[in-house]
Amino acid sequence: MHGRLKIKTTAQQKAEKELKQSNQLTQYKASMSQILLHRNCDPFDPVSFKICAGLLSTNPDIYTLWNYRKEVILREKHRYEESDPAAKEDGDVDLKAFDGLLEKEISLTEDCLRANPKSYSAWYHRYWVLMLHSQPNWQQEFALCTKYLSVDDRNFHCWDYRRQLVNRIGITLPVEIKFSTERINNNFSNYSSWHYRSTLIQLNEQCIEEELELVKNAVFTDPGDSSAWFYLKWVVTNPALGKETCQELLDTLEQLQELEPDCKWVLLAKGWLMKRLHVKDYAVELYTQLIHLDAMRKGLYRDLLQNCIENS
Amino acid sequence: MTEHLHDVVLPDNITEELLTSQHIDFIKKYGEEQNKFEYGMTDYLRLSGMYWGLTALELMNAGVTDTQDAIVEYIVKCQDPDSGGISACIDHDPHILHTLSGIQILAMFDKLDAIDIEGVVKYVQKLQQFDGSFSGDKWGEVDTRFSFCAVMILSILNRISAIKVQKAVKFVKSCKNFDGGFGSRPLAESHAGLTYCCVGFLSITKRFDVLDIDNLAWWLCERQNPSGGFNGRPEKLPDVCYSWWVLATLAMLGKLTWIDGAKLQTFIFACQDQETGGFSDRPKDVPDPFHTLFAVAALSLLDYENIQKVNPTYCMPQHVIDRLQLDPKILPS
Repeated sequence: MHGRLKIKTTAQQKAEKELKQSNQLTQYKASMSQILLHRNCDPFDPVSFKICAGLLSTNPDIYTLWNYRKEVILREKHRYEESDPAAKEDGDVDLKAFDGLLEKEISLTEDCLRANPKSYSAWYHRYWVLMLHSQPNWQQEFALCTKYLSVDDRNFHCWDYRRQLVNRIGITLPVEIKFSTERINNNFSNYSSWHYRSTLIQLNEQCIEEELELVKNAVFTDPGDSSAWFYLKWVVTNPALGKETCQELLDTLEQLQELEPDCKWVLLAKGWLMKRLHVKDYAVELYTQLIHLDAMRKGLYRDLLQNCIENS
Repeated sequence: MTEHLHDVVLPDNITEELLTSQHIDFIKKYGEEQNKFEYGMTDYLRLSGMYWGLTALELMNAGVTDTQDAIVEYIVKCQDPDSGGISACIDHDPHILHTLSGIQILAMFDKLDAIDIEGVVKYVQKLQQFDGSFSGDKWGEVDTRFSFCAVMILSILNRISAIKVQKAVKFVKSCKNFDGGFGSRPLAESHAGLTYCCVGFLSITKRFDVLDIDNLAWWLCERQNPSGGFNGRPEKLPDVCYSWWVLATLAMLGKLTWIDGAKLQTFIFACQDQETGGFSDRPKDVPDPFHTLFAVAALSLLDYENIQKVNPTYCMPQHVIDRLQLDPKILPS
């Protein structure tokens, strides 16, 4: 029950709700019995298949119902293949009619995802169906993904799906890196975009300065947002970043600190850089300040301080 | 400085204590009201629901005794004689998630012998893929959650050598990200729930060498919001279930001191339903057994009084883990 607000109701409202729910439950149980009874029918029972679609549209997490649909689809595939054995031998079955069935299935998963864009089962079923399709329209899938990301750019199912599609439709790495730059510039605060970028970029001497510029731009624009700081840590703790650049960044962070004296992220970043630059005697002041600014994590800062003292 | 509050405001009148007897009533009623809407409509996750409720009761020292036999009988009926896997409820299909829940309940009752253990072992073994990953059932969906389920099940049954452990570790390792956390598959974004699964997997297989412990623990302790509650990913709202996913992972890594336990406890208390008992994801939402277990288990890790000690890897009472002689890797703090 995620994010469902509890609402006060009157006795009458309560009674009405209970009656409605009781009918709904009876209906659900009858539908499930009907489907399970006809589960192994061959050819499949279209009434049960339709009822099943209705149930999944309201709750795509009833995993056994997806399994039922997969069984029907595989049996149908077999039937189309058997109906044209010669073509099957040539590997040239006319699967038009079968594709028609799959198209309907694809549109069912879209209904389900509209109701619950985070349903593991619905995303998986969609991909599974497309893999059986004789001419899967991956471009259309890609467009769907873009649409869903514009609604919720943190939906990790959607990002994962995009990743699977990129390879299928032959999008090159530079194009995808450009996409991630656009997403980041569109919203610095989207951690998913930063993560996605980290999977595309191999940090090395050639690209690291450019990555630093991008992430620096983000943290300086909005120092209070945590997302970009995690990426900054990844970049500045990589040995490919030269000491000179580290020193420059440290100086710039000092300036930022004057503007944002209460921003813990600036202090944390200074800590990462000073450790890399082997600056001595910074730890006591830095971590004492952090303990004060970010008391919830004082145990962390005490440990870090202790480590610095032991290693010095 | 711009404030970024992806957070909740706690209500004023938080009860600063655990309403234990109300929570016990809430769970017991949930199991008894078999014709109630919520219960009836969630048959597709019944066995997991039973694990959440029964474990919460046990942790609150109210473990069931009178209904144990009926529960065991039900689980036996949920085991598929062909595949050996266990389903969420009768007439539904076997799945590794419910196989785990069934095994956890039976282990708690000390009744593992009631089912066909060899069948379960074969079921899990067959779900391992060539790359070392596990699918959730025969239809092939792969996820790091299922890797964790596999090693939990097999370690409880003392049969971990039935799978290719090294390959399984290699797959989990391939899901590690730039921030030290883990996602559901290679290259998928870090998520506190899936990070818990992967660290739990590595705790059972004793392979913490795979982890960047300090980097990961920092990412985890940054999940705590000013309200005291934890979120599952940066810039997301807190939810009481992350109290468990984050805290248990930090417990395995020996870093419980890196967060503010008192503030977390207040957030957890704020998610109690004072009228019906039970916990909800956030204050004033509808309570359910899932959030109730993870709230109570998190309080156990915070050493709250009169709650049994929970094992951070298995989310089962420590006395059960001791009886089974399981020894997951847990770093000292």
